[in-house]
Amino acid sequence: MGVTTDQDEQNGAPSPGLAPSPVPRRRGRRRIALAVSFLGELLITAGLVLGLFVVYSLWWTNILADRQADRQGDKVRDHWAAGKDSGPGALDTKDGIGFLHVPAMHNGEVLVEKGTSTSILNDGVAGYYTDPVKATLPTTGKNGNFTLAAHRDGHGAKFHNIHKLKDGDPIVFETKDKWYVYKVFATLPETSKYNVDVLTAVPKEAGVKKPGHYITLTTCTPIYTSEYRYIVWGELERVEKVDGKRTPPKELR
Amino acid sequence: MYGWIWRHLPGNAWVRALLSAVLVLAVVYVLFQYVFPWAEPLLPFNDVTVDNQ
Repeated sequence: MGVTTDQDEQNGAPSPGLAPSPVPRRRGRRRIALAVSFLGELLITAGLVLGLFVVYSLWWTNILADRQADRQGDKVRDHWAAGKDSGPGALDTKDGIGFLHVPAMHNGEVLVEKGTSTSILNDGVAGYYTDPVKATLPTTGKNGNFTLAAHRDGHGAKFHNIHKLKDGDPIVFETKDKWYVYKVFATLPETSKYNVDVLTAVPKEAGVKKPGHYITLTTCTPIYTSEYRYIVWGELERVEKVDGKRTPPKELR
Repeated sequence: MYGWIWRHLPGNAWVRALLSAVLVLAVVYVLFQYVFPWAEPLLPFNDVTVDNQ
């Protein structure tokens, strides 16, 4: 029943019940009304799509990334468990080189992989820089800067709580057989995204002049945008050997 | 637009409501699976690295 009346209206033929009126003017107004309602619907649609985009970027990407990171993290741990006698030096950089534990960020462990491209970071991991300044991995034992980046929001949001890090907070990097315990000593809450000096082996902006074993975390700021970069620096305090039960260092207990 | 779609769906009101829901889900799927992943890197909300470009 509803069908016929609808179609009648659409064809511009008023049903007999309606009062007859000058047809052309009715039709013109009708056309305007249609255009306006079409425009309104488009605007509503645009609003809904933008809302969905927020849902996508702040919620759905986290789910996908966490799933991916868990899978890759499990793989790394399996490798470690299985590869006890596979000989040293076989550093598997494809699945990740270790895990970052930052108690102040309350986000558990973060897998660390090579590279900071979007496709890597979108898997919910932290990436160490290969460009523009190559990171010095702590496993090499050399002086240098272990520079890392991860997402602030979406895609796992692994560095979401970076602003909760204060001087003296521990940052622990776990590899197959060592715990590297860093202590935060400087933060830079806002800097230009072109400021690559923060990644140098001796980051002057952190207030250090001598070469040492540094770690640098970078992410975007303010939250939900990426106008600037947030930087946290730490220095290696000690290295612990991993025992048979992988007992974490006291900072993580 | 939505009225037009509604009028062109077959069946009675319940069938149409069901079909509409399916259409909405299909659109959301396409957005989440293809459109948003494509659009996200083009928008300046989630760049986390420092670089010199």
